[in-house]
Amino acid sequence: MVLLPHTYQSAEYAPRLAVRLGAAYVASVSSATLDACGGLRFSRAILQARLRAEVRPKRRLVVATVQIGAFGGHDPVESPERVFEVGRPADVERHREREILGREAAGAGGVDLPGAERIVTAGRGVGGPDEVSVAADLASALDAELGASRPVVDNGWLPREHQVGSSGHIVAPNLYVALGVSGSIQHLMGMSGSRVIVAVNRDPEAPIFSVAHYGIVADLHDVAPALTRLLEARRSG
Amino acid sequence: MRIGVCIKQVPDTDSHLRIADSGREIDDSDLNWVISSCDLCALEEALVLAEAEVSRGEERPEVVVFSLGPARVEEALRKALALGADRAVHLAGEALQGGDALADGCALAAALAKDHCDLVLTGAQSDDLGQAATPAVIAEILGLPYAWLVMAVELDAPRQSARVVRELEGGMNELLRLDLPAVLAIQAGINKPRFASLRGTLQARRKPLHREDCSAVDAGLVGAAGAGTETESVTLPPAGAGGVVIEGVSAEAAAEELLAHLEREVAL
Ligand SMILES: Cc1cc2nc3c(=O)[nH]c(=O)nc-3n(C[C@H](O)[C@H](O)[C@H](O)COP(=O)(O)OP(=O)(O)OC[C@H]3O[C@@H](n4cnc5c(N)ncnc54)[C@H](O)[C@@H]3O)c2cc1C
Repeated sequence: MVLLPHTYQSAEYAPRLAVRLGAAYVASVSSATLDACGGLRFSRAILQARLRAEVRPKRRLVVATVQIGAFGGHDPVESPERVFEVGRPADVERHREREILGREAAGAGGVDLPGAERIVTAGRGVGGPDEVSVAADLASALDAELGASRPVVDNGWLPREHQVGSSGHIVAPNLYVALGVSGSIQHLMGMSGSRVIVAVNRDPEAPIFSVAHYGIVADLHDVAPALTRLLEARRSG
Repeated sequence: MRIGVCIKQVPDTDSHLRIADSGREIDDSDLNWVISSCDLCALEEALVLAEAEVSRGEERPEVVVFSLGPARVEEALRKALALGADRAVHLAGEALQGGDALADGCALAAALAKDHCDLVLTGAQSDDLGQAATPAVIAEILGLPYAWLVMAVELDAPRQSARVVRELEGGMNELLRLDLPAVLAIQAGINKPRFASLRGTLQARRKPLHREDCSAVDAGLVGAAGAGTETESVTLPPAGAGGVVIEGVSAEAAAEELLAHLEREVAL
């Protein structure tokens, strides 16, 4: 078995490695077990983390990538049995059919999400560009920064610098309020370290509830304005 | 020039998901099927690249969509034709069904090679299984350079290479040059997919859609026989950390209750 972390680097080449080795391939696994006969079983999220699948490799050799954060760290093993030194293949310098020209920041902005004490995040469930205001209003009533899930950014409802998740900001505020966010792995990677997590979602089975300390199963368009009104009433009262 | 776009038909992520009685898959009796979201971005990018070639005074590249699956995927292919693809290929043979990313990548690679595609675009990962494996498998089988999570594509003037921006973690991008032919897996957010016009929908009915059974490929490499994995069971995710659930009360009552908790927890 060959195990790799499911990073944006290794997940790019890992399936190629499986093909080249004639191995089975399983991506982004969150656990692995052995059955009574010594057969491997991997567990992984499917359908945007709404369900889980148990997957059995049918080949002797397996390449698998492991979801980041799925396994707790272990103390390093004292002396590894064998360490292989791998040299650079001789022909690697000849012709590059794929060449890295450089790296750059994807574009920063004036939002201080990583430094925020409180964040209110708009998910795709807010419904559209004009409805993002329900999240923005609650954010201002809570003195919070405004976050966004990726589809909200991809659809142009909020600029990229608001994005929370594996390809956006990694945040760990005191309070994180997710409005209409389903709770995909990529989103959770960006915010599951928050101290208090509140989720408002009308789907009781939304995976965001598995990390939420407080979950409200309801329409966010009813609950978020009600919260905003209460907070504003207190402020002026 | 020919651009091949691979699209997958998946259950609408907003539809209610039920586990089938077999416990091995989801119940597909009343699902809404749609084109996986990144695949729509891949198609849009192909159409934009084709239009850009025309405005450079070049011949318009042909955009061909490919999809593997049962009869229902022809609906997805017709939709792609309505959006502007020129031609569609349905990988339909019985022997091709029931595969995993390795098997499906193998069949798609054969079909793409048969059509001599100079550029292959796919979505970064499917909305259902989300392994991000099929495009990499296609690239490996065809021996082509590959980039995952592509956020921008530009073809050079002699159309011998593509300049590509790809996403890395934590808000960084990588700039790459890939020789053509190449396989690019397109990430959501690269563009805003267009909607089909009525005219497009009418035209789509007359555009060619042909079935391909990939009979030239060794039957042991595709479909269930070629799969490297098997799904044993599908389950609901384990219950959560046991947070407080507020349910079945009015919005005002829910808001009051939440604020009472937050008062203690985060000193509002
Ligand atoms: C390589 C890669 C990187 C990614 N990086 C990120 C990232 O950094 N950040 C990120 O967020 N995603 C990222 N994604 C995307 C991720 O996979 C999900 O698609 C995304 O997080 C889903 O966003 P969402 O929860 O807002 O939308 P959806 O999954 O569509 O969820 C919307 C939710 O809103 C609920 N809802 C709808 N209407 C209402 C209503 N009226 N009231 C209450 N609830 C409602 C629904 O029940 C649903 O649960 C990445 C994907 C890939 C492949």
